[in-house]
Amino acid sequence: MKVVLRIALGIIAAIGGFVDIGDVVFNTQAGAQFGYELLWAVPIGVVGITVYAEMSGRVAAVTRRPVFDVIRTRLGLPTGLVVLVASLFVNVLTLSAEIGGVALVLQLFFDAPFTLFALLGALGMVTIIWFTPFEGLERLFGYLGLALFVFVAAALHEHPDWHSVGGGFVPEAKSSTLYWYFVVGLIAAALMPYEVYFYSSGAVEERWTPNDLLVNRLNAVVGYGIGGLLSLGLMVAAAQMFAPAGVVPDHLGTVPLLAQIPYGEAGLVLALLGMLFAIGGAAVDASFAASYSIAQFAGWEWGKYRRPSGAPRFTLAWLVFFALGLGILMTGIDPLELTEYSVVLSVVALPLTYIPVLLIARDRTFMGEHANGPVARVLGWLYMVILVVVAVAAIPLLLATNAGGG
Amino acid sequence: MDERFDLVYRLLDDQIVDVDGRRCGRVDDIELRGAPGEPARIGALLTGRGAYAARIPRPFRNLARKLFGDDIRGATVQRVPWSEVEDVEAAVRLYGRAEDLALGRDDRELQWPFKRLPGG
Repeated sequence: MKVVLRIALGIIAAIGGFVDIGDVVFNTQAGAQFGYELLWAVPIGVVGITVYAEMSGRVAAVTRRPVFDVIRTRLGLPTGLVVLVASLFVNVLTLSAEIGGVALVLQLFFDAPFTLFALLGALGMVTIIWFTPFEGLERLFGYLGLALFVFVAAALHEHPDWHSVGGGFVPEAKSSTLYWYFVVGLIAAALMPYEVYFYSSGAVEERWTPNDLLVNRLNAVVGYGIGGLLSLGLMVAAAQMFAPAGVVPDHLGTVPLLAQIPYGEAGLVLALLGMLFAIGGAAVDASFAASYSIAQFAGWEWGKYRRPSGAPRFTLAWLVFFALGLGILMTGIDPLELTEYSVVLSVVALPLTYIPVLLIARDRTFMGEHANGPVARVLGWLYMVILVVVAVAAIPLLLATNAGGG
Repeated sequence: MDERFDLVYRLLDDQIVDVDGRRCGRVDDIELRGAPGEPARIGALLTGRGAYAARIPRPFRNLARKLFGDDIRGATVQRVPWSEVEDVEAAVRLYGRAEDLALGRDDRELQWPFKRLPGG
């Protein structure tokens, strides 16, 4: 019974930790501008993150190698270094966007300048990370992020036209570049690489062994699967409430309206709470992902299971990354624009980190009987192709649509 | 170890872990001993950022040397004698402690500011 409870608690944290600022931005904007038409892109991204996370979690449980260990050993030093630099770049952009998201949500609670809230938000998160053990961090942000289910409830409350919703899951070829920009953005937002670095390093932090492979599979399939419902909820709610009125949610403050319209003040508070902790949790994950990457690449001691002084270069790394993320925001860049850039650029770097994981997950020398089976093999290569296509299309679409600005 | 063991596939770039489970560098290069045509054996594992430049493609080598430093044995590169290696499985596990092999020095030097803080 205890085991079942432990597994369930982990899955619940994974659900609440699924959504970040990229998901919020792309899903609500897609719903507002294209109604239900882009729903099909969400499961492509969700299955992708499931496949990638399951493989990297399995590799970590069996070989105790997290993603950047695999990148360094499979790609070697020079290529690994290129992947490291690219990953750090997009991770810091992501971290910066998430800190900006936290600041924007705080601004909806209290009236004060953005830069003050960015600073306070970053300081608050640094303090929480400093004093909270790894599992506590995952749970704190994951559980409170569950408040986002208010958007799913709102979507159902407004009685969607199920026929149109069903139609949205059938991909349609369109000639609009904005439509394809959103397809790429939605897939990319679900497949942010920092989530996988964090997930696989977390497996090492929690000392997973091959006995935890079931937990890994459930976390990835059920946790991310149900987490994906949050994305769908945001898009369907935006399709119902924003699209008919022609509202484009180009400010984060517009998003909580989706919960406020059906549920009033209580809905608003839940929406803000969920957004605050989901986005805050993503900031923590992104800062760790960057620090795990550099520490694993260079072979430094790392991990939250150590005290901050027990892994000092790792500690210094996440402090520096928070400072860098904050610094980017202080230039006055619009956090939502930053979000779009970080999501699209992340997907460009994604195949570089996906290939080595796929290569080791199928390698019996390292994985023994836990190497990729038929399902993981087929899905693994299928996503290899999808990721390369999306990565190649991403930058031209970003430029052609002026980052979704039309 | 009689069976075949591929150095680049199984050893190069792997994590080095000391007897206390402390991560203390990666196998950045491998030192072989033995003249050509004679039996060769692994002399030592080399670890440290000073070993990076030699592994970077030639056009970028000067840049890498500026970024990561020159190869100075005992300073930017440490030798881990092969006799210190207990096991090569998930990681390269050493018989001894990192400090006795002059590994993980930067981590030890950086500890003090964090130790002074509450919860650090």
